[in-house]
Amino acid sequence: MLETMDYDRRADRLLTREDLTGAAIAARSLRRTFKGGIEAVRDIDLTVSRGEVFGFLGPNGAGKTTTVRMLCTLLPPTAGTAAVAGLDVVRDAADVRRRIGVALQEIGLDPVQTGRELLELQCGLYGITGERGRRRTGELLDLVGLTEAADRRTKTYSGGMKRRLDLATALVHSPEVLFLDEPTTGLDPASRLTIWDEVRRINADGATVFLTTQYLEEADKLCDRLAIIDNGRIVAEGTPAQLKAEMGHDVVSVSVDASEVAATEVALAGLPGLERVVAEADGLALYVEDGASSIPEVVRRLERERIRASAISVARPSLDDVFLKATGRRLEGQDTNQPTTGVSS
Amino acid sequence: MTEVALLGRRAVREVVRYPEATIPTLFIPLFFLAVNIGQVSKTFPSTTPFLKGEGYVAFQLPVSLMFAVATATSGLALVTEIDLGYFDKLLVAPIRRSSIILGRLTADLVRGIATSTLVLLVGIALGARIRTGVAGAVVIVLLAALFGVAYAGFGLLVALRTRNVQATQSSFLLFFPLLFLTPNFVPFNRLSPLMETLAHINPVSYVIVGLRSLVIDGWNAGELAVCILVIVAMGIVLTGLSLRVIATYDRS
Repeated sequence: MLETMDYDRRADRLLTREDLTGAAIAARSLRRTFKGGIEAVRDIDLTVSRGEVFGFLGPNGAGKTTTVRMLCTLLPPTAGTAAVAGLDVVRDAADVRRRIGVALQEIGLDPVQTGRELLELQCGLYGITGERGRRRTGELLDLVGLTEAADRRTKTYSGGMKRRLDLATALVHSPEVLFLDEPTTGLDPASRLTIWDEVRRINADGATVFLTTQYLEEADKLCDRLAIIDNGRIVAEGTPAQLKAEMGHDVVSVSVDASEVAATEVALAGLPGLERVVAEADGLALYVEDGASSIPEVVRRLERERIRASAISVARPSLDDVFLKATGRRLEGQDTNQPTTGVSS
Repeated sequence: MTEVALLGRRAVREVVRYPEATIPTLFIPLFFLAVNIGQVSKTFPSTTPFLKGEGYVAFQLPVSLMFAVATATSGLALVTEIDLGYFDKLLVAPIRRSSIILGRLTADLVRGIATSTLVLLVGIALGARIRTGVAGAVVIVLLAALFGVAYAGFGLLVALRTRNVQATQSSFLLFFPLLFLTPNFVPFNRLSPLMETLAHINPVSYVIVGLRSLVIDGWNAGELAVCILVIVAMGIVLTGLSLRVIATYDRS
């Protein structure tokens, strides 16, 4: 499977031998168009190294789940190529499935079975049967802290317990690559932290983790590298530190009335140390060398132009600033169901 | 084969743990059996030629058996699984997709044996005699259950094509014309010409006639062979279509 460079004519650009052997996940010009011409994923390129926790950050409808479904062999790409664990997701789909674990956004559990029965079944589907299957089930129940609830039907589980069991079902065969599609969406902060710990532990055991999320904090704290996807395109990619560093040193946020945004931008143009300005609906984000020393000048200029700011604050750039720069809008605060510790869209 | 056994065991467990899905499917056949016998027994006493000395309950019993086993239960279970996301979990596992369908059909076989045994026992309690004895009763139960398996393919097909619970539920309604455009109340030759033509076209007629022959006539190789042939043909067509749909599910 690794012999040729031109193994797939569907690709606009080809996966190289290095992509296949070195990367846990590689995608080139990957596209998915649904009926009616809806372009969910538009020619994305991705390379995820083995052993990484790679984050795929974006708002609802950005194309995260469609990408995961293509990489997991659940959905064929309309164009482009992708390989997971060195295998083509279309041509070698069956082999890919043996090497990956998947916990999709919708928790895939059978409510009539107990946690133990589901895990034993899952083991069986991966060829781990009999005593081996029972032993592996016991290990996984321990791992996700569900031993006591193991013999209860899953319909009685809380959201966090279901998510942990779903995660365990993705781990029965110790996959090389683990796909987690919004694994903490809808969970309370405590359950979210538990999942984070488990992801770190799974990664420490050698699995590459591909994690989609709409939570900035999750991407920031959990991922070695991440890509930001919006409207089906990857708009930024790098380590969280790199992405934030590209934004400048400090962010001065100036909140003004929507009607005064343009005038404020004019007033603050040429501010000493200013690296970048991004206009928002109700204010400006100023990326400056030194936030604290910029404030007096910002206030002076606003007073001179008789612009009334409702708030001025200084912060280090966040991934939300990266998202803002890349898309022109914030990811933060778009989701009313967001957790207190994270930010979502 | 292991994966079919594993998924079949899970589906059977579901049948056992979720009797609410099976019990209602027994109500209608038993209700029809009791009502039809009550209404028509005097019109068709055991001296009626086509009853060959048996009570009308013996004539009606195969119809109730058909009613008991032809359900959309598996289709509903599958579409619920699609809705809940567990179906995706199975699709992403390294198994043959056909095993998902065959696992479900295993449960249909078990459920069919259980429900048809119960209906048969009720029929016997109401006065039906099985001319072919215990061996015939076993064959009746098995054939009825296999018919249920064959028909389940239709519900599975609707579930996979529509991915909609209501549509899958409604698919059961199609069985009403299939069951009533048959010699269900009287033999072929007592039907009106139009009904007789329609009944002759309807494959379900031959399953009823085959089962009825085991109850009333004794071992009739010809009618039994046609009955088995129809069940096998229905199974091949409906299960085959389901297998084809699941093989291409979300692959285009």
